[in-house]
Amino acid sequence: MSETNDPRDERDERRADEPAPDSFEALRGALAAHALDALDAEERAAVERALAADPALRDEADGFAETSALLAAAVAPVEPPPALKSRLLAQLDALPQQRPEAAATTAAPPAPPAAAAPEPEAAAPRHAREPGRAERVAQHRWFQRPGAIIAAAAASVALIAGAIIGVGWAGPNGWGAQREMAAIAEASDVQSSTHEVDGGGAVTLYWSAEQGRSGVIVEGLPDVGAESTYELWYIDDDGPQSAGTFDVQGEETWRVLDGAFAPGVEVGVTVEPAGGSPQPTSDPIVVIPT
Amino acid sequence: MADRDRALTAPESGPTAEELLTQVGRGDREAFGELYEATAARVFGLVRRLVVDPAQAEEVTQDVYLEIWQSAPRFDAARGNALAWMFTLAHRRSVDRIRASQASRDRDLRVGVRDLEVPVDTVAEAVEIRVEHERVVDALVGLSELQRECVSLAYYGGLTQSEIADRLEVPLGTVKTRLRDGMIRLRTALGVTT
Repeated sequence: MSETNDPRDERDERRADEPAPDSFEALRGALAAHALDALDAEERAAVERALAADPALRDEADGFAETSALLAAAVAPVEPPPALKSRLLAQLDALPQQRPEAAATTAAPPAPPAAAAPEPEAAAPRHAREPGRAERVAQHRWFQRPGAIIAAAAASVALIAGAIIGVGWAGPNGWGAQREMAAIAEASDVQSSTHEVDGGGAVTLYWSAEQGRSGVIVEGLPDVGAESTYELWYIDDDGPQSAGTFDVQGEETWRVLDGAFAPGVEVGVTVEPAGGSPQPTSDPIVVIPT
Repeated sequence: MADRDRALTAPESGPTAEELLTQVGRGDREAFGELYEATAARVFGLVRRLVVDPAQAEEVTQDVYLEIWQSAPRFDAARGNALAWMFTLAHRRSVDRIRASQASRDRDLRVGVRDLEVPVDTVAEAVEIRVEHERVVDALVGLSELQRECVSLAYYGGLTQSEIADRLEVPLGTVKTRLRDGMIRLRTALGVTT
């Protein structure tokens, strides 16, 4: 038995009645372990892709999540050091909150007050108003949901999906990922940004703060061969975090990024040795701010 | 949600954690302070149980509350209660910290119910916590020993299912089955409605 964490090692010890690791049943079987945070990063990402795409799985996952929260409730409370609270409160100003709806950007301005109800901004309202309908409409206009682009993205995903019949549920272009890519493209708060790459080709990033996910559609990038691969990175204040690899097959390819999308992160693409790297070993060919 | 008979119940007086978290989601700093006061000992207790090192546990707890502040607008009371949502964030961040720092290699992984001691003189809500604690311990006692061992190593020890398999020297498939069966039993015993 090798000592690596390669999921392929599981196959050696799979019982005959165990579902294949990529199957829907295997993902469903992993929901309990997911709620216990007992999956490695790759397994976790696969389950979360499936959850994003499937409400029935989400219901079961919610029940397990509530169960593991009760396990937390049994742990003895410990008072944290008193300084922690003041340190926390001092940091809130620097941290924009996510929006309950409509898109978030790094320096999201506070929701513009509705023209119909001008009211001076209180310094720190004890009970902030819920944004009214007019405000929400204004926000939607402000963020201009690009309908045509979304339709194109959804069509593009459908097109690609049609081209790879026969793949399994899991994997970067599997059914789970296809459904998730479509879900991002159809999200009510989807935004996109296309960047040309020096040397030809373009990368379009689609992101939904509401879903906490993003995906790329890549066109016209050169094939980097069997020795290398393209790798995606979420880049935040803590530096780059790998968000998966992709290879170019033909004119167009796509990938849902591993891990959670947080508004304000940048997404970078580098060329790495085959199999990908834990940290980038070369300069990015493109960096897309969100 | 009628949760009088559920384990994570709200105190009788004052705003519930759900109400506070909803206000936090609207940018209410005062509510954030109240939510922190009401929950910090429980969140810190969980983080410390996993991370062990007090300084690291404090850092992780800080990150957890900053994440609570940022993602509160997305909290959906229809999909679970506030404390459960916060515990979920706290557990995941703790586990991520353990795995990032490799601290799991030399941590004390005592397993079992005995190790879930709630001191009798804890904080004001002790009665409520003791009641929850008793229920969870009873539910854990209702598992087979092998299920309990796997669930505890995962949740209280922060191990992955592969690490559990290595540690117990059993096939990974066996660990997966025990985790799933154990969680289904717990879910039923704790009256979680799905």
